[in-house]
Amino acid sequence: MTSNNRRCVVSGLGVICAVGNNVEETWKNALNSVSGIHKTTSLDTKNCYADLAAEVNCDTLDDIECPDEKDRASKLCIKAMKEALNDAGLGDFADSSRVSVIIGSCVGGVLSIEKYHRGGKDANEIPKMPIAAIASQVAESCHAGGIVTNVGNACAAGTISIALACDLIRAGKADVVIAGGSDSFASVPYSGFLSLHALDENGCSPFNHCNGITLGEGAGIVIVESLEHAEKRNAKRYCEVLGAGVTSDAHHITAPREDGVCLLEAMDRAVKNSGIKKSDIGYLNAHGTGTGKNDNAEINAFLKFFGEENPTLSVSSTKVMTGHCLGAAGAIEAVFSIKALTTNTVLPTLHYTAEDSEAIKAKVGSMDYVQNAPRGKELECVMSNNVAFGGTNASIVFSKKPGDVQSQVAKDKKIAVTGIGIVSPIGNSKEVYLESVKNNKLPETASICSTVSNDDYKELGIKMAFYRKLDNLGQLQTVSGMRALKDANLTVTEENAKQIGIIVGTSEGGLGATYDFEELIAEAGNAGGSAFKFPHTVYNAAGGYLSILSGIKGYGVTITTGPLSGLDSIGYSMNVIHDGQEQVMMATGTDENLPIITELCQKLNVAADKVVEPYSNSNGFVVGDGSVSVMLETEDYAKSRDARVYCYALGYGNGRKNVKFGHISGSGEALDIAINEALKDAGISANEIDAVCGFANGLKKLDDIEKAAYARVFGDKLVTLPLFQVKERVGEGRAASATLAAAEAALMLGGELAEENAYFIANDGSVSKKKVSAAGFKKILVTSFATGGSYSAVVLGK
Amino acid sequence: MANEEIKSKLKAFFMSDLGVDGDVLNYDTPLFGEEIGLDSVDSLEIISFVDDNFGVSMTGVAKENFQSIDTIAAFIEKNKA
Repeated sequence: MTSNNRRCVVSGLGVICAVGNNVEETWKNALNSVSGIHKTTSLDTKNCYADLAAEVNCDTLDDIECPDEKDRASKLCIKAMKEALNDAGLGDFADSSRVSVIIGSCVGGVLSIEKYHRGGKDANEIPKMPIAAIASQVAESCHAGGIVTNVGNACAAGTISIALACDLIRAGKADVVIAGGSDSFASVPYSGFLSLHALDENGCSPFNHCNGITLGEGAGIVIVESLEHAEKRNAKRYCEVLGAGVTSDAHHITAPREDGVCLLEAMDRAVKNSGIKKSDIGYLNAHGTGTGKNDNAEINAFLKFFGEENPTLSVSSTKVMTGHCLGAAGAIEAVFSIKALTTNTVLPTLHYTAEDSEAIKAKVGSMDYVQNAPRGKELECVMSNNVAFGGTNASIVFSKKPGDVQSQVAKDKKIAVTGIGIVSPIGNSKEVYLESVKNNKLPETASICSTVSNDDYKELGIKMAFYRKLDNLGQLQTVSGMRALKDANLTVTEENAKQIGIIVGTSEGGLGATYDFEELIAEAGNAGGSAFKFPHTVYNAAGGYLSILSGIKGYGVTITTGPLSGLDSIGYSMNVIHDGQEQVMMATGTDENLPIITELCQKLNVAADKVVEPYSNSNGFVVGDGSVSVMLETEDYAKSRDARVYCYALGYGNGRKNVKFGHISGSGEALDIAINEALKDAGISANEIDAVCGFANGLKKLDDIEKAAYARVFGDKLVTLPLFQVKERVGEGRAASATLAAAEAALMLGGELAEENAYFIANDGSVSKKKVSAAGFKKILVTSFATGGSYSAVVLGK
Repeated sequence: MANEEIKSKLKAFFMSDLGVDGDVLNYDTPLFGEEIGLDSVDSLEIISFVDDNFGVSMTGVAKENFQSIDTIAAFIEKNKA
């Protein structure tokens, strides 16, 4: 049985979608087989072949603090969050470090992008644009002071958020996690799915007519709590969350694998991680989008996976009621699954005729594809699946019994850093980067970017048939990822493909591509979208392309929380390895500097107008970009294949003090928490740190936070502690710079970077700079930040 | 519009909108072969481009018409008003 300290329970639910503005209303309508799909009232449908959508109808979304500062996606999410907290009997958390927020989203603040572009470029819209705003504003609304993260895996994001919530609790990093997903209906996804001819003009008909999807919108929140915490406060308990499985198809950027084998692998992982039998699952809330490709892949995968062991499994798709709510889908469907479990009810897929029933029966045999009306059925466990663009598959199990969940089974394994891939404004490989450092290369202008060329593709053997599809972010990501694999001398094979995973951290992800798409349809109308460009708007497209190119089929998650995402990719990767999920993880940080990104920084008055360096007390920073990938693997695995080891990943930590998203001032003490947590995780004291690779970029209010926190944490030692700042050379490359800081630490510990400029902070706060040899370093601290008040730290050591 | 002009317009479209390297794209190069590697998403873009620029609908048209710039241009020639 799952040990009590690994048990995660659900103590509260919240939902808003087309069939209800709360759980009670939504559930009642679901039991009455109500569909929320109607003609859209909010978008222009001129020349569009499909005009249906499942829109939220709620006039109280603005009844929150500062509604003008929030995108509709945040408003939907905060509404569901409030209901869930109320349901759980929880309120304000007073910045408690034990309460986390993890929210999945696909298009995030796309309505604010549209508003900015079509409404006179008002700078107030900018902080509402990235997905990262959602979890941050949820945390700000209830003062959750733990790990705050957004998952950007498109339509699987909601499910992954709940899985990640359990991982954090089981790793001892949180007691309560507000987990879920949110997305709003908007022109970009509507036009995008139209361009793919993926909308069903008659309304979606999953596992039935399968002519396409119908878009919805909404948010779902599940309060996941450690059993211990729930028991202590005598909380309501809906059910347990058992294991989950996340895999990558390595197949196509929009289409799922027809054979469904990687979805099958995700379900297999979920069942194994839960410690249950396949036959324990009584109901499966399928992804069931209504496209032929998705539904047939699922039908095949379910037959193959459950087959003889569970031949009468009940299956349905609730998307005929809610529409496809993208990043919220998994969260809303989790709420349906949990309500189904606790009320012993299986929900139907709607709109089957007698003829349709015969047709599905011929396809699925004895399997119970529930049709038209709900039905009572004694349930012990339910499964919820979601799949996404980029080839992501996610599966999770909710249960009445504790199961036998295995987690942190590899906690005692040492994690080695074995490969580094760098794409930066000063070079597209580790070798060129090191050469540029040696030559003291610095930015020449205040906005710099990396340039991937055909030479990079040629050297890495990437064919034109592949690279022609990539957008800029995908180019940066695939080149840095493939270089990291090469540097680690790791060949992906059929045998090891499932043992390797990828976590991409990104601050803005597909925001630039989304803006590009918005420009296109603002001109051409919603009927004029591009099927070629649309996939790039999802934040996990870059990671998806890397998985397709490399063949990596294991864990694949894109996190998006601001610059620190590039460091959290390392921390979360360590957790995936410690959970025994993968032997090898690629942790990466990627962000781009398209002209629109520099424009947004300028509008926010954070872009410098000339080249500035860290600690220069400036009003802005040099805008940069890049992609940096770091290979992490268990020491055993590294030894088994004679891999070169740069250093070891010893610990990671996070801290948060809530300030408004887009702001940082006043949150500095949370950096102390992140550093101290990382030191504790590594089992060392601040005195053992030989150097810091930090995040200063020249912007005074940011650099001052860093200086002050180091003074508090390191005390007298600070005057002699070398601080290395990669942004001196590559500008503010957000997540790419965060991973680059870690890569630079690894290069110093591994002896490949002999010396580099270091900054020293004197007792009076003044800063000096000199070249320092890395020869004696044994342990290096790496830090990063995100607006809204989050900080992360990682300790690397010999 | 002369056949050559159609072909040249198509080639420019493949280069600018579908990321194809012009050096390896001849009028008879197989578009859905290994080298260029177009797929179903790209064919949606081709259909939309041909419709917008030549007023010819290729929706539901047999696969062989999409084989190369030559075959697409021939289809346009044959079907334009």
